[in-house]
Amino acid sequence: MRDCQNIRESIGAWLDGELDAAESESITAHLASCDECRKARQQLESIQHILKTTLLAEAQQIEFLPFWRGVQLRIGHKTSWYEQALQRARATFTLSRAAWLVPASIAVLLVILSLESYIPGWREGRNSFASVESIDAYGRNVALLRQNESKTTVIWLYEDQEGENETAEEPAKSAPAF
Amino acid sequence: MRLLRNPPNQLRLFSLVLTLAAAWVGAAERNPHSVQVTIRTILAENKSDDYDPKLKGMEQQLKPLKYRSYRLLKAEDQNVPAKGTGSFEIPGGRSLTVAPQDFQDNRIALKVRLTERDKPVIDTTVKIPNKGNFILGGPPHEGGVLVLSISATAQ
Amino acid sequence: MASFQELVSRYHQKVYMVILGLLHNRDDALEVAQETFLRAYRKIGSFEGGSSFYTWVYRIAVNLAIDAQRRQKRNPLDFRETMDGVLEAQEETARDPFADVHDRELRENLIRAINELTPEHKAVIVLRTIEGLSYKDIGEILGCSEGTVMSRLHYARKKLQNKLSAFL
Repeated sequence: MRDCQNIRESIGAWLDGELDAAESESITAHLASCDECRKARQQLESIQHILKTTLLAEAQQIEFLPFWRGVQLRIGHKTSWYEQALQRARATFTLSRAAWLVPASIAVLLVILSLESYIPGWREGRNSFASVESIDAYGRNVALLRQNESKTTVIWLYEDQEGENETAEEPAKSAPAF
Repeated sequence: MRLLRNPPNQLRLFSLVLTLAAAWVGAAERNPHSVQVTIRTILAENKSDDYDPKLKGMEQQLKPLKYRSYRLLKAEDQNVPAKGTGSFEIPGGRSLTVAPQDFQDNRIALKVRLTERDKPVIDTTVKIPNKGNFILGGPPHEGGVLVLSISATAQ
Repeated sequence: MASFQELVSRYHQKVYMVILGLLHNRDDALEVAQETFLRAYRKIGSFEGGSSFYTWVYRIAVNLAIDAQRRQKRNPLDFRETMDGVLEAQEETARDPFADVHDRELRENLIRAINELTPEHKAVIVLRTIEGLSYKDIGEILGCSEGTVMSRLHYARKKLQNKLSAFL
């Protein structure tokens, strides 16, 4: 025979129909003969009944159409294109993603700026030619030439015909035929 | 290390590391501590129709000079300190002095002097792209002319 | 949208009842109930049918209500004030005037006693009392085991009995 304390702890579950058959039968039998436990059962039932009727009465005052209009309003409001875009942006640019977006951008920028070091001639145009800042040929004739195809700057010294320098075998061809 | 589980902290650390790396790379590039200078001394002549295989890769630069043959006489590398001077022996009693001046926009300014028997033949300051070159030619030698390819790489 | 309207029609009062039981404030409960259906509308695509629709909706409702409770700054007496209109309306239909007074006092104290429970204990009492949901369903809604539901219910009922013993 279970004691009343034990029984009262199970009355709630018994009322809820959550006990197995054997346990349920044992409580039913006890309640038939115990006033105190029967009183406990009645109290629980009253609490449930009053709570249910109170809230039910309140809920029955909620008419469907005004409630539905409120829901529609929320649905309509939240799906404006601006709100959608904002929500998508918030979902995409979370802090954890942004945490990597910034350094990733810096890395990309660095790679672009460093490209020239690793890919010679990456930047086309005048920059790939050597530029002559100053020149002093000590009175000799000098030609400054640019080969467009190879992007090469050529400084060509002409022979000093008055000096003691060696002369080429074919003087006519000692200068490049530009 | 628990601090680094926090994404904002990860962002801060990563950004800091990247910024320092960028600054270091940028600083290294702006102020190279030395320049690797390479001088290729080439003899261009019209006695034959030979192209030295050792000059592979330079055809586009040399062929327009319209000589029939090109032969590599010597190639010399020197690591010249920034603001320092490198001297290269050139056939025919000549000498080439190269002095890196500055480095900006990935271009190296070189002060170049060619002397012959200790007398200056030409002084020039040329800005070349990093790892690029320019040609200095014309001094006669052994029936042909010398063509000097002067290239530089910032270190 | 038409089928969703039908779902709202079927469940809106039940959802409101559960939320009112948790929030004790009519206006807040109405707002949270409407928000519940907005969320359900948005997430309807992700409802896989693993649980029944009503336990899925109640889960949304209970979570929103618990969040709202944490934000609620009004004191518990507001609940009694907002419920006064309901109690008065109910009294008009009662026959025994003494029973009216007794019931009104019991209701007021019941509501106060429920309000003193934690959100989790309130949730189990309301879901069980109003909906008669099984412990399994309640556990699914609240994200806890059946054993936890049972023990929370037992605790909540014991507290209510102790506070209301003079009226019961």
